[in-house]
Amino acid sequence: MLTMTNVKKIFRTDLVETHALKDFSLQVNEGEFVAVTGPSGSGKTTFLNIAGLLETFESGQYMLDGNDVSQLSDNARSKIRNQKIGFIFQGFNLLPDLNLFDNVDVPLRYRGWSASERKQRIEHALETVGLASRQKHLPSQLSGGQQQRVAIARALAGEPRFLLADEPTGNLDSKMAHSVMELLQDINQRGTTIVMVTHDPSLAAEAGRNIFVRDGQVSELHEVNTFADVVNG
Amino acid sequence: MNWEIGPIFRAVMRNKVGAVLIALQVAVTMTIIVNAIFIINERKELLARESGIDEANTFYLSSSGFGDNYNAQVTVEEDLANLRQIPGVINATQTNAIPISGGGWSMGLKTEPGVENEGVGVAVYFTDQHGLQTYDVELLAGRNFTDADITWRDPVKGDWPQMTILTQAMAKDLFPDLPYQDVVGKTVFINDDEPIQIIGIIDKLHAPWIGWDGLERVMLVPQHLLFDSYRYLIRTEPGQLDRLMPEIEALLADSNRNRIIRNMNSMTDTRERTYRGHSAMVSMLTIIIVVLTIVTALGIVGLVSFSVNRRRKQIGTRRALGATRFAVMRYFLVENFMITSVGVLLGAAMTVGLNIWLVNSFEMQRIDWYYIPIGMLCLWLIGLLAVYGPARKAASIPPALATRTV
Ligand SMILES: Nc1ncnc2c1ncn2[C@@H]1O[C@H](COP(=O)(O)OP(=O)(O)OP(=O)(O)O)[C@@H](O)[C@H]1O
Ligand SMILES: [Mg+2]
Repeated sequence: MLTMTNVKKIFRTDLVETHALKDFSLQVNEGEFVAVTGPSGSGKTTFLNIAGLLETFESGQYMLDGNDVSQLSDNARSKIRNQKIGFIFQGFNLLPDLNLFDNVDVPLRYRGWSASERKQRIEHALETVGLASRQKHLPSQLSGGQQQRVAIARALAGEPRFLLADEPTGNLDSKMAHSVMELLQDINQRGTTIVMVTHDPSLAAEAGRNIFVRDGQVSELHEVNTFADVVNG
Repeated sequence: MNWEIGPIFRAVMRNKVGAVLIALQVAVTMTIIVNAIFIINERKELLARESGIDEANTFYLSSSGFGDNYNAQVTVEEDLANLRQIPGVINATQTNAIPISGGGWSMGLKTEPGVENEGVGVAVYFTDQHGLQTYDVELLAGRNFTDADITWRDPVKGDWPQMTILTQAMAKDLFPDLPYQDVVGKTVFINDDEPIQIIGIIDKLHAPWIGWDGLERVMLVPQHLLFDSYRYLIRTEPGQLDRLMPEIEALLADSNRNRIIRNMNSMTDTRERTYRGHSAMVSMLTIIIVVLTIVTALGIVGLVSFSVNRRRKQIGTRRALGATRFAVMRYFLVENFMITSVGVLLGAAMTVGLNIWLVNSFEMQRIDWYYIPIGMLCLWLIGLLAVYGPARKAASIPPALATRTV
């Protein structure tokens, strides 16, 4: 599904060069639920951005769904983001001026689907996250957990193969965090590949596989309990 | 392709203040600009009107006699004879009034005698058989005056001669149903019941008053003036005017010491002076249009830039969700087009409103309908041009902004 080989990402500002990813290599298979952890500044978000085609990289290779995506045009990348990838953000990133229905509709509109098809998908997606009755509400009228559910509905409505989440529970209390986690697990059960960045070891433990990122590189862990050891020492 | 019209509209409706301000600004700008352009065009039409005379090569001056030794009749006869034989002078005539100048005489002519009948107002130019050539007018029908027709007008009694030459426009206003050829030979009445026969029709000659609605109505009267003060109108060959003006002024002054020559003016200067207000109005309105257009365009640039900066994260999110750069640009263009459209529709109503008020208060013309759609198009275009820069900036916001907590 996703194969990165020796991906290198450097951020350049006037004063410093940050090597955010150094020879980053990773394979994620179809249907996996991968949790990415690691210290702050280790390159987790950078990895996710590159995986989601939000950012380009200096060198290395990235195969998504069997295609080399490193040389694509901006438009082609937009199209892949739109059709194959669903995003869930830490800050939910709902559009505050649009009601829930219109929010979920945003990526679907770029798909060129008919209004009736979009409507059906939006309603279904909102139903999946348990917010079917709130279509006309504005994001500001919902709790954080509910907002993140809307964001998940938005990510799901286009039926992407691949869901990327950067600290999706970072702004939620633990009860809400776990219910969002349950939702993601449901989605994963139904076949969507998920890569999720999290700081929370107990959530990471619920994923199928854990990846630990340190200093722009991957160290892969299969045992949940060893993960805690690494973090602690 | 999906233009997101519904969501954009609903989003605008949730942030009305900025949108309403811009729409109002567009409406006011359109109202003022369209009316201003209409006024400018009206004035330009006024400025473009030709008086009928050979303005570039014609000038005039006034002669005022004084003292016991002054003999008006002799002076006029001598002056005209002198003027007409100066090389470079095409012809000259004594007259009471000058086209465009603003000063002149008017009378009323009636087709039926009697106080009770309506007259048609007409500007009076006293002249002789040399008038046609001096005024550079063409005789369309009938005949010119002859030497025998010319009489001397007594300043006190002021008798009217029994013949006149009219402009085509005057003939039409007196006898709307007759072709001008058939007006020749007709008798009309001046001072209610004094008959005058129309002996000729000329093509075009303007009355002295540019704002008069009877501007084209002129009668030529075959009389020399025995007044103390009168004017000579002098037409020169092309290119001779500048040289001849001072020469002729000096010649007339020297030829007779019992009068003074004053107020010498070229027709070009006279036109410039008379139309100065109109020219100034055109310049002022042009400046207003330019300034307003710039202010409105900058207002739109400002509002859109502000909203782009405020929505950076949202734009990044849209990009992350699959919006192309073009889709982001289109978003802002569509959003602004909606706001401008409200302004432009309101502006169309306000434009007509302002025009109606101007028509009622200042006797302006009713605006031609096509000014409205053209004005709407222009403001739409200004709106799109103004929003283009900020929209491009929005389109360059990277999708990675969605995940960055800035
Ligand atoms: N746009 C950028 N410009 C410059 N440096 C950047 C940029 N984005 C990230 N970096 C740097 O790259 C490195 C990796 O950042 P990244 O955001 O990927 O870390 P992270 O693992 O997601 O951290 P956190 O857990 O705090 O979210 C950091 O040193 C960061 O400062
Ligand atoms: Mg991060």
